[in-house]
Amino acid sequence: MIDNFIAGSIALFGDPFSIGIFIFGVIGGMLFGAIPGISMLTLAAILLPFTASLEPAQGVMLFAVIYCTGTYGGAITAILFNIPGAPENAPTAFDGYPMTRKGQSGKAVGAAVLCSAIGGVSSALIMMAATEPLANWAISNIGPPEIFALVFFGLAVASSVGGRTMWKGWMSVLLGLLIATIGQDPVGGINRYNFGFADLAAGIAFVPAIMGFFAVSEIFVQAEKKAIGMYEAPKMSLDFPTILELWTYKIAVIRSMLVGFFCGILPGIGATLAAFMGYGEAVRWSKNKESFGKGNLEGVISSETANNAATGAAMIPLLALGLPGGAMTALMVGVFQMHDLEPGPMVFYNSPELIWIVFAAMFYANLSILFIGLIETKTILYLLKIPFQFLAPMILLLASIGSYIGRGLVLDVIIMFGAGIMGFLLRRSGYSIPGIVLGIILGKIGEQNFAQGMQMVHYDVLEYLSRPICLLLIIAGFLTILTGIYKALSYSFRS
Amino acid sequence: MSKLKTSHKVETLIWLTIVVVFFGYSFEFSQEIEIYKFGATGWPRVVLGLLLLVTLGNFLHLYKKGSEAQQGRVGITDQEEDISYDGIGSIKKLIAILAMPLIFAWSLKPVGFYSATPVFIVLIIVLLGEKRIKWVIGITLFIYFLLIFLFMVILNAPLPQGNISPFYDFSAFMLTLNTKLHQSLNF
Repeated sequence: MIDNFIAGSIALFGDPFSIGIFIFGVIGGMLFGAIPGISMLTLAAILLPFTASLEPAQGVMLFAVIYCTGTYGGAITAILFNIPGAPENAPTAFDGYPMTRKGQSGKAVGAAVLCSAIGGVSSALIMMAATEPLANWAISNIGPPEIFALVFFGLAVASSVGGRTMWKGWMSVLLGLLIATIGQDPVGGINRYNFGFADLAAGIAFVPAIMGFFAVSEIFVQAEKKAIGMYEAPKMSLDFPTILELWTYKIAVIRSMLVGFFCGILPGIGATLAAFMGYGEAVRWSKNKESFGKGNLEGVISSETANNAATGAAMIPLLALGLPGGAMTALMVGVFQMHDLEPGPMVFYNSPELIWIVFAAMFYANLSILFIGLIETKTILYLLKIPFQFLAPMILLLASIGSYIGRGLVLDVIIMFGAGIMGFLLRRSGYSIPGIVLGIILGKIGEQNFAQGMQMVHYDVLEYLSRPICLLLIIAGFLTILTGIYKALSYSFRS
Repeated sequence: MSKLKTSHKVETLIWLTIVVVFFGYSFEFSQEIEIYKFGATGWPRVVLGLLLLVTLGNFLHLYKKGSEAQQGRVGITDQEEDISYDGIGSIKKLIAILAMPLIFAWSLKPVGFYSATPVFIVLIIVLLGEKRIKWVIGITLFIYFLLIFLFMVILNAPLPQGNISPFYDFSAFMLTLNTKLHQSLNF
């Protein structure tokens, strides 16, 4: 492994053009990840046609580097403005933004930089060592029934986070699931809830919904405070966390790495659920649960470690099995195909040099997050000095463009602002915005895998529960739900 | 003793309306799928059933405890602090701020991005309390040209052009300028 890694590193840094592509990927991924609505996917989609003129290894390496650094970039706006650059950064905002409001932005961004790098580097190392055996395990043990069980567990965890009561937590998640049913059903392609709008047949896209519920509703919340004279500008601070401070969260980092890596391996799940589950597990194991959502550094650490740990893991099903785990890895399949290559087991035999250049590039890209992240962070924190009345139109317009260019539909911009107003009102009433967003993201995945899983077990619940991973996750999910119901009812009836 | 307020009844009524409307509409697509026993309506109806149950649970909580937050809840942010309005003026201002982006979004199809954007920026800046004319104009021009440079010149992103004159003509003019710029730079 070490020999292959060294060979990959030499191939990467022995060619000035490859170095140029690597640097472009690192900076481009961070920048596009940090601009709300214009995610790393936008950059990857724009660059896809140009990869035809690159060597196959250079093309795949460029996308892998963008994937690593773009996942980190989205944390910056999540922490500073409560606007996640991508869905996988949403849980980072839960505690990152309250930290900014308390004048601890430097600490939050510093922790995000370090933990993204740790999560990413460790994931890259495991990816190098274990791609083949892990892929073999995943293909024989993980199928649609297990993915549905994982989604069920993820939703049960999401319902317990945010929301003024357990009921409101669940209402938020179920609203998200209901929104996700708009558009064609995933089995028969039948139009549902399009209310006469032809454009709604394609469903509600993630980006406008997420931008609306997070970015636009946040602008409205701050605008309301401004209108009634209660607005306080976020305080800027450059106090980075100390090594000793971060060391106290070592268990959270290791736990999130494991959660992130496990979620990353599963096709279709990827970094978003990894971040939510990493955050949820941090809450579950914490002795100070109430402090989450109010500016607990562990929330930022858990989310950012988990989502970057998922990046390396997501390459395993892609490279070993040819199965893309998410949108970014699906675009990588496009790069392979442009060079008449098919990702899958044969790549290891036909183009081993390609694999090791990509592995080495991902390793170094995650290291770059640490160095470039620490250098650029101080500059980025000065964004907080921009007066709100000038920042707000900029954010609203970036979010509008980001929503529009995904599918070229003005309806998406209207949906985004509608979601913004809805999010603003729901936040005022104590509902959970992250719960709604996770419901939207996991709704389609959950329904599709439930349908496939049921077909696989011939609609026999006992056969479904005879699969050990399903049984474990379903029991864990039900325990979470029942504990929540018990707590909510006993609280309601307590005098 | 009941702690229900009118706002709690309205909140519950809205949720029940959502459940009823979506359930009623589900009959519009109630078709069988040959390969899937539960059809297209199975999943949404289960979601609606669960939503009905938790809405009733929420109503019970509102009845017993009002708006009080459940003890031990995780991740309740500071967004839920009490907001009080000092007069009708601030309410009008907030409604204008909420409505403005929606009007902007609706105007994109007929007016187009290139014409609607500067007006939107000016209105939002003014609504958010900026009164210095020089700053309003300066920041509007800065944001507008920054977005044009980034998305039109660099990324060539297809933005809404509008479909009524003279807005459509203005968009066409901007795109022609962009094409000439690209040709002159051999971009």
